[in-house]
Amino acid sequence: MTYQGRIQVRTKLGLVAVAVAAATAVTACSSAASSGGSGSGGDLSAPAASALDGKGETDITFWHAMTGTNGETLKKLTDQFNAANLGKIKVTLAFKNNYDDTLSAYKNSLKGGELPDLLQVYDVGTQFMIDSKATVPAQSFIDVDSYDVSGIQPNIAGYYSVGGKLNSMPFNTSMPLLYINKDAFTRAGLDPNKPPTTLDEIKADAEKLTVKDASGNTTQYGFGASLYGWFLEQWTAVANAAYCNPDNGRNGRATAANFATDNNVKLLTWWKSMVDQGLALKLDSDTKNGDSAFVAGKDAITLESTGSLGDFTKAGFQVGTGFYPKINASDTGGPIIGGASLWIVGKGKDDAHKRASWEFVKFLETKDSQATWHTSTGYFPVSKAALDTPVDKAWVASKPQFQTAITQLQSTKLTTATQGCLFGVMPQVRKAAENAMQAAVLQGKDPKQALTDAANSLSQPIKDYNDSVK
Amino acid sequence: MSRLNRPGKVTSTFTYVWLVVAAVVLLFPILLTVLGGFLPSIDLLRQPPNLLGHYTVDSYIGALQQTVVPLLPAFGNSLFVGLVIMLAHLVTSCLAAYALVFLRTPLRTPLFWLFMATIMVPYEAIVVPNALFIRSLGIGDSRFALVLPFLANGFGVFLLRQAFRQFPGELRDAATIDGCGHVRFLFTILLPGCRPAIAALAVWSFLQGWNMYFWPLIISSTNNSLNTLQTAVFALRSNDSADPGLLLAGITITLLPTLLLVLFGQRWLVRGFTAGAVK
Amino acid sequence: MSRDDPSTERDVSSVSTVGNAEFTASPPNGLVTAADSATVSQSVISRWNPRELALTVLFLAPAVVGLGAFVIFPLFQAVYLATMGSDILGNPTRFVGFQHFEELFTPDFGAVLARTAGFTLMVVVAGVVLPMALAVPLSQRLPGMRVFRTLFTLPFAYSASAASVVWLLMLNPAMSPVNWLLQLVGVTAPGWTTDSGWALVTVAGVTVWMVSGFNLLVLAAGLAGLDEQVLEAARIDGASGIRHFTGIVLPMISPSLFFVIVTTTLTALQSLGQPQVMTDGGPNGATSTLVYSIFNQAFHNNNSNYGLASAQGLVLLIVGVLLAAVQFGVIERRVHYR
Repeated sequence: MTYQGRIQVRTKLGLVAVAVAAATAVTACSSAASSGGSGSGGDLSAPAASALDGKGETDITFWHAMTGTNGETLKKLTDQFNAANLGKIKVTLAFKNNYDDTLSAYKNSLKGGELPDLLQVYDVGTQFMIDSKATVPAQSFIDVDSYDVSGIQPNIAGYYSVGGKLNSMPFNTSMPLLYINKDAFTRAGLDPNKPPTTLDEIKADAEKLTVKDASGNTTQYGFGASLYGWFLEQWTAVANAAYCNPDNGRNGRATAANFATDNNVKLLTWWKSMVDQGLALKLDSDTKNGDSAFVAGKDAITLESTGSLGDFTKAGFQVGTGFYPKINASDTGGPIIGGASLWIVGKGKDDAHKRASWEFVKFLETKDSQATWHTSTGYFPVSKAALDTPVDKAWVASKPQFQTAITQLQSTKLTTATQGCLFGVMPQVRKAAENAMQAAVLQGKDPKQALTDAANSLSQPIKDYNDSVK
Repeated sequence: MSRLNRPGKVTSTFTYVWLVVAAVVLLFPILLTVLGGFLPSIDLLRQPPNLLGHYTVDSYIGALQQTVVPLLPAFGNSLFVGLVIMLAHLVTSCLAAYALVFLRTPLRTPLFWLFMATIMVPYEAIVVPNALFIRSLGIGDSRFALVLPFLANGFGVFLLRQAFRQFPGELRDAATIDGCGHVRFLFTILLPGCRPAIAALAVWSFLQGWNMYFWPLIISSTNNSLNTLQTAVFALRSNDSADPGLLLAGITITLLPTLLLVLFGQRWLVRGFTAGAVK
Repeated sequence: MSRDDPSTERDVSSVSTVGNAEFTASPPNGLVTAADSATVSQSVISRWNPRELALTVLFLAPAVVGLGAFVIFPLFQAVYLATMGSDILGNPTRFVGFQHFEELFTPDFGAVLARTAGFTLMVVVAGVVLPMALAVPLSQRLPGMRVFRTLFTLPFAYSASAASVVWLLMLNPAMSPVNWLLQLVGVTAPGWTTDSGWALVTVAGVTVWMVSGFNLLVLAAGLAGLDEQVLEAARIDGASGIRHFTGIVLPMISPSLFFVIVTTTLTALQSLGQPQVMTDGGPNGATSTLVYSIFNQAFHNNNSNYGLASAQGLVLLIVGVLLAAVQFGVIERRVHYR
């Protein structure tokens, strides 16, 4: 190439480079920032039943996280509803792997994607859903229809009400339970109808339940539970303490997580010693692993939601249930209601879709649906009348395990502690709690230090969240 | 054949012993995958799993019939991603490589180095801006979003440029003298003549698309119908962890295409991955 | 010298379709005179044949647009995003300056990098040594070797998620045949995914299993392509056993070896499926590699920390470039091409 040619090329290169840089700088800023898409149409008001008239078939999508037996039951109920509303409403189920992913997906689709019509959000997502301002409060529909909410169990209604109003309709409500392998108890000479009620009792029973074979390998551990963050929240409530300050976020925004309490330290120390002494199976925070260990007979005592009862009864042994254990025998609180509720999306949705979602929600709340739901899954019925249906009564009479959660619910007083913590970043809080549990039980770190570190790691996310909601 | 080439008895025995032990260790998971789908979960949820239990196809039927994680649509999506990316890579790389080799492209050298530089950028490094960009375009829930960021590829350009440069110059000259234009030359002489490289790129690109996990995971999180086989496996595990029989049956179904490829297409595989890079 | 050095490339474009024979001539030697510049300007004008230029642009456009829009452009975007914080819905709207970059210099992130390095090292070393240890015996002329080779390649059929789920079952305390075998010989199995010391090793092990099939295929092909005469000549000269292997065989298959090292490093660096499905980054972050961290910050656990994830992505880019520089600058020089 000649000298002149080379200069021409170099100038061209330079011009091109400048142009490219300028273009990318301009478009980089605009396209990245404009990722906050605005939904077109759809306000957050609740339409009356007439919204569906003359619209033909309205298709709605329901994002859920129900697995195994629970998923099958949900499908059964959905098919029932679709058959009864043929030509008017069609509900399509979309399984989202787990509660965390359901909420993450919702968050992502708020930025200009396809929002679902109805979604199932876990208890700790409540504050975030309120702050996201994209849903139609259940209360609005209740008012429009004059729906009778007195039929809902008061503890459940109380948990999901904020400022006296129901933002979402409770659907699969659960409490944690203690599960035991009755056959293993009998073999160990323990009374299978007297499950342990405190940590000390669990330890005493586990000593008799841990079975080793000839070469010293443990074939059955006394105790085994997943290091699930939900359990830490439960134990805090059982000790009648607040999980987050101030006031569990129920009287104004919470600003800090309250992890490093004496009770929690005692709990994690106990758990670690159980593992070290070979009485407890080492598990991570994935409840699926804990569940399969129990069903396979690897441990004789476990902790899980009452919603796992349906799957557990399919195990090859008799399953017994007991109240969620206390840390100290003197604890006065009780467990928090868990599970999830149904949120109707309003942003970007027309009246027909919003109304269709509400019709499906109402169907799921009827006493018959709730009776089916209760007897198949173990989640307890939201509707008081469901317990009086013949189906439910017969089932509970023959399988008393399905009654335990109800009795536990009815004997728990509704206080700020047992209402549970309301935090915009609750999912991250739960994850931080799990990190602390893993650090203490699996990595041998000092429990108090692990809990303090976890609580401190949350100060920036909490601050960021609260700042951005102002 | 010289005596030195056939191994002695001692070496042979050691070889066989080592290979059998390695086979047992490395291939047991495959045995479990295939057989596990034929066993009821009761037989699997024991230590060790009872592989001599009662064989049934119930789990396979269940896996195909279940509606929570539909496998056939997932297969369709994986096929879509693999084929679209394969075709897109072929087209963009062929054209770009042709321009770099046979056309008097201005800035040829800087352009080539630009293409080479993009090979060093793993897509995970830029997955966040790409995801936000795709969503801001409003197509985040369409099938197209599964493939859009991957339509062009620097490695493809590199591979085909190698092949084109090695194409005999005499054939090119002869074609020119015959009055053959660029386009005719490309399609009727060059491409047929570079079949091995094209085939190699096709195989490589298809597998790149088929095996992607990170990108489909985030795209399908907001739209279940965009699940590929890889993300469906994760969803299957989430739903059916209590039913290992169903889970393994489902996994075996998703592995059928690649299992067949490995069993019968080994030559293609080696060619696909080593072409142009290993001689 | 690498064969990709453009200075050695043959200029094929000198044969044009327009038939202007004068520019096949080389540039004039000596001083450029006025007469020369007449020729030069004429060739400059004729060089930009509109039809050919249009064809060039048309041919280059797809690749340039595709790579420009989705590889180059996002790099700039990532830098911009790294300076933004997200609101509760995840929209990157608050300018936070260097906060995210500061977060890259914390011990937590340092641990992430250390883990990634350890993970990659384990995967590459084991992922090359193991297949090699299989490929060498397989290259012998014994009956049944082909069957073995096909069998050992089977793990290649497994995707990251399939391999992770199957190995989760293989190592699940409830049904693990591995634990059962270990019990038989009196060893208590560790918590494969719950022991923070073992978790990363387990995830690395599964990755090694995944790549072993393909690596074996490439190495076996490389060994099969060795020149018999050279090998035999070496044997006659007295080389045998280890010496024969390291001195003769290894250099001869070094291209295959290098290829396997490069691809395995990339696979390890880009792994998301294994840490996500097997341990979800746990326990307590023990398997949180760089790619997992990007995924976690941006799309998981209800996070939408796009700014931090973008900053971490840039680190991944730097790591990738550095590794490429080391591999191609240092290791490739030792590769013995024929």
